Amino acid sequence: MRQLLRAELAKLASLRGTVWCLSLGFILMVLLSAWVVSSSKFYGDLPKPADTFSFVHRPMSGDGSVVARVTTQDDSHPWAKAGVIVKESLSSGSRYAALMLTPGHGVRLEADFTTDIAGSAGGAPRWLRLTRSGGSITGYESTDGTTWSQVGTVTLDALPWTVEVGLFVSSPLDFEYVQGGGAQGIGIIPTTGRAVFDHVNVEPTDSSTGWTYLKVVPTPTPGQPQMRPGPGGMTEVDGSFTVTGEGDIAWYGIPSFFRPDARDIVSDSLQGVHIGLLAMIVLGVLAAAAEYKTGMIRATLAAYPRRGPVLAAKALVVAGVAFVVGLPASTAAFLVAQPILRDRGVRPPAYPYRSLIEVDVLRAVVGTAAALALLAVFALAIGMLLRRSSRALPLVIAVVMVPQIVGPLLSLDADKWLTRLTPTAGLAIQETTERFDTAIDPWAGLGVLAAYTALALTIALWSLRHRDA
Amino acid sequence: MRNTIEVRGLRKRYGRTVAVDDLSFRVEPGQVTGFIGPNGAGKSTTMRVILDLDAPNEGTALVGGRRYRTLRTPLREVGALLDAGAIHPGRRARDHLLWLAYSNSLPRRRVDEVLDLVGLASVARRRAGKYSLGMRQRLGIAAALLGDPPILMFDEPVNGLDPEGVVWIRGLLRGLAGEGRAVLVSSHLMSELEDTADHLVVVGRGRLIADTTVSDLLASASDGRILVRTAQPADATTLLTNAGGTVHASDGTLAVTGLPADGVITLLTRHGVPVSEVAQARASLEQAYLALTRHAVEFGAALEPNVGHSGASTVEEA
Repeated sequence: MRQLLRAELAKLASLRGTVWCLSLGFILMVLLSAWVVSSSKFYGDLPKPADTFSFVHRPMSGDGSVVARVTTQDDSHPWAKAGVIVKESLSSGSRYAALMLTPGHGVRLEADFTTDIAGSAGGAPRWLRLTRSGGSITGYESTDGTTWSQVGTVTLDALPWTVEVGLFVSSPLDFEYVQGGGAQGIGIIPTTGRAVFDHVNVEPTDSSTGWTYLKVVPTPTPGQPQMRPGPGGMTEVDGSFTVTGEGDIAWYGIPSFFRPDARDIVSDSLQGVHIGLLAMIVLGVLAAAAEYKTGMIRATLAAYPRRGPVLAAKALVVAGVAFVVGLPASTAAFLVAQPILRDRGVRPPAYPYRSLIEVDVLRAVVGTAAALALLAVFALAIGMLLRRSSRALPLVIAVVMVPQIVGPLLSLDADKWLTRLTPTAGLAIQETTERFDTAIDPWAGLGVLAAYTALALTIALWSLRHRDA
Repeated sequence: MRNTIEVRGLRKRYGRTVAVDDLSFRVEPGQVTGFIGPNGAGKSTTMRVILDLDAPNEGTALVGGRRYRTLRTPLREVGALLDAGAIHPGRRARDHLLWLAYSNSLPRRRVDEVLDLVGLASVARRRAGKYSLGMRQRLGIAAALLGDPPILMFDEPVNGLDPEGVVWIRGLLRGLAGEGRAVLVSSHLMSELEDTADHLVVVGRGRLIADTTVSDLLASASDGRILVRTAQPADATTLLTNAGGTVHASDGTLAVTGLPADGVITLLTRHGVPVSEVAQARASLEQAYLALTRHAVEFGAALEPNVGHSGASTVEEA
């Protein structure tokens, strides 16, 4: 087997076409990746923090605490929020610390749109308490109102003497993704949260003011479309407050913050793979079909008549060559793309810098080379099967390209299924972010491609064993 | 057993075309076996089956007593030149031999040895696409000799060679057989093998027509005619006919059968008929071969007027 590998490698290396094909593939793969990240308008501007919620408030001067029991919370959204809040002022965007329940993610202590501390996993009914001491605000939770456990402490520097405290309810937007005819759209679906509070208390007590309801919304930006104020309100019966509200208090760093159009800058950096895979398909098909065209296959089989090892050696050599060229190409593409993205303002907090030593980045970069190798072997098998590049090349290119061309014309679900069921699934290995259009898990996707390759190899072996050369 | 090719009951169809039909023969070591037949007779098909490239419908072909597919380093057992054109045109000749050498764990120096042997050493770094047909033949022969095998097969090796090359390859074939190797050489022209082959396997339309030695074939084709050249053909004809011979005249030459050569000379001399030449007519191997295969060729042409030859030659090249 070793001498056969050596022979097949020598065969491939002794052709100028191989060297040309791989060099061109390498260069174009890096260039296309750089072009995609430097020309696309995917990334947009840095969005402002979300600060929309229903606020039942009263002022509190100096140190003190606000406490309430959330008796029920509607499951309007996994990241719906209901709890107590200490806020610098009543204007949207002002600083805050909040302790809340969420239907999907338990108790959270959050502050200033960037800090998120997880408490217990429990839900309503539950007691929540925020205590201010100077600039420090500490959150506590309790199931009975007597035994308290600390969730955490956050620091808000230079907080004014008098702040607004009280109850708040929010429930973020749901998104609906539609696709068809080559276009993608994102529909916005508001959700409305509702929660019931009792045992609401502020200490020190200040009886001079009562509870006031306010729907906090961002100040309209001139020229920007303003969202219609959604439902929200408060009713109080015998110290029991029922509050409804929508929106979210969040930004990057708060897990509920979600940008539906967020890009995966790692896979964006590797888009040159589409040229690279063409080069690998040509390599694979020609490694097989050229032997049949020239009649070399008979010399090959005469020199090594056992069919299994012949095909195995060809597959290993083609895979090895594709991987050895693909890995530096994808690494170079990634490394070239990062500074371009940085220069274009694609940077934290919207897009944290990505580095090769991160596990998912490594998976994407090495996986790209692996996908190229598998695809080259797939092309080789089809080439062995059809024996003519004029048949095999269009077929393999169609199998790989058609889903990518046709997919966007279909509905999102149909597109996802098309990706899952065709060898294109292998490119999922490049993804590091789960998006609305994510069709398949990265490893599963590579597995689909590997399965196609294995199937094609099996049929090619059968053909090699049973058909005249 | 070791240095032989043994074909038994071989039958191979391509679709509805029968390329080889119940063919059996043996190639023995130490001699050159000529594999002769018109185009489309099934020679190349038989060689492909021997190399396990094509699977026979019936029968077996063994090299050194084994099926080709079971050989681990076949280039050390069997060297074959099937199609000299079957080289990637973009590959340098030396690289072509190198990968073959790697595949059978042959030393690199062996590549340079065979390049020297076939006279391509000076052009070894040229790409095969730039080679003439004759140079490709030499490269194909070099590939066959690479593993120094005891069994050799050459399919139409003389094709495209210049006269000097033809002489060279005859010497090469004789030399290989002289070293005790089994050598099978195909040709559609008997003249190419006349002075080279010891043994002949003649095929036509896929069937064995003759499996014989060269001398036996000549003897069978000889019919004892004596050629007489004379200035008085009429007198000579009368005398010879009276003596019991049968005479055919053409161009002042008489072909006599039924009388021994010395008898003819004595008779004519005694009666004062001047004789300029008396010779034993020797059927050439070519004529013997043509006589043998005429039927096969005509048979094919008559049965399949449209595809006959071209169809058969497609099979050859397939």
